[in-house]
Amino acid sequence: MNSNINFKNLWIQQTASPPDANELLVKVRHLKMKHFRTLIVVNILLVATSVFIISIWVYYQPQFKTTKIGIIMAITAMVMYLSVYNRSIPLLKNDDIVQSTREYLNHLLSIKTQQQYLQTTILSAYFILLSIGLCLYLYEYTSRMSILMATLSYSITTAWIAFNWFYIRPRQIKKQQTKLDDIIEKFANLCKQLDE
Amino acid sequence: MVFEEIYTIYWQKIFRLCMGYVNDYDTAQDLAQETFIIVWQQLPSFRSEATIGTWIFRIASNNCLRHIEKQNRFPKSELPLHVTETHQPTIEPHIEYLYACIAELPEIDRIIISLELEDIQQSEIAGIVGLSEANIRVKIHRIKEKLTQQFKHYEQ
Repeated sequence: MNSNINFKNLWIQQTASPPDANELLVKVRHLKMKHFRTLIVVNILLVATSVFIISIWVYYQPQFKTTKIGIIMAITAMVMYLSVYNRSIPLLKNDDIVQSTREYLNHLLSIKTQQQYLQTTILSAYFILLSIGLCLYLYEYTSRMSILMATLSYSITTAWIAFNWFYIRPRQIKKQQTKLDDIIEKFANLCKQLDE
Repeated sequence: MVFEEIYTIYWQKIFRLCMGYVNDYDTAQDLAQETFIIVWQQLPSFRSEATIGTWIFRIASNNCLRHIEKQNRFPKSELPLHVTETHQPTIEPHIEYLYACIAELPEIDRIIISLELEDIQQSEIAGIVGLSEANIRVKIHRIKEKLTQQFKHYEQ
């Protein structure tokens, strides 16, 4: 073969029969449903918990302000988490993909960087709010207990919170970060290729 | 332009672009299908600022690049559709080798050379990728040189 290899001629010889266009639309629906289901499950779980907490408020009529503040903080934590979580799973939103590759990559990179910040910050804020909320909430009930029982209640709660803060939270953050770091690095590498 | 028409005209072209990107028949089929799903979704908002070809190739290129992220997110088996269990038809080793060489290039280069081999004007490629025309020209020249070298090697 001489140095003028006809790449174009070789290139176009690769063919694949197109699948039926209707099957594509079936696939769209399938994927949409799948995303939707995950979204629904998480939302139902957290909303149900919030409703449960509110019903305690309504049913037992707490006397102390601390209890009410505690409840509000816990619910705020869950609502905050939900709103961020819901935004992180776009329902097959592809509005940005029609940009040029350079714009699209920059866009993806900025989203990922923002997501990285949000995830750590929001997760920590969620734990802090929930923990303080829980401690405040407990105060009314423990104040009616004996000193020993009250101490015990708070010790157990504190231990649980500590476990979450020092074990669960860093693990969650690490898991998300490794995944995101990896993606960000790959996107950054693609951007670099454009500038070479 | 209606979707079915676009689908018929562009399927092969988009498939080849994806094939050059991944050099895996099944993955390329999946990527091409994803591209057309997006085309189908976005078609109502398509305004004739670009030609329809540029627009579709942009989606396809970006979707291929986005594949990097998806590799972590969806294990392949979770993709629902498996068309008709078509496997790659046997093709000439030269063609196979060309696609293998292209899939070894850096990601952006794969896109650029695939578009060039699809006979798309360099000014249009520049519009798809977001680089200057001069830049594209230099890149294409370099990539072709590299491929020629590899082919010479292959021949011996």
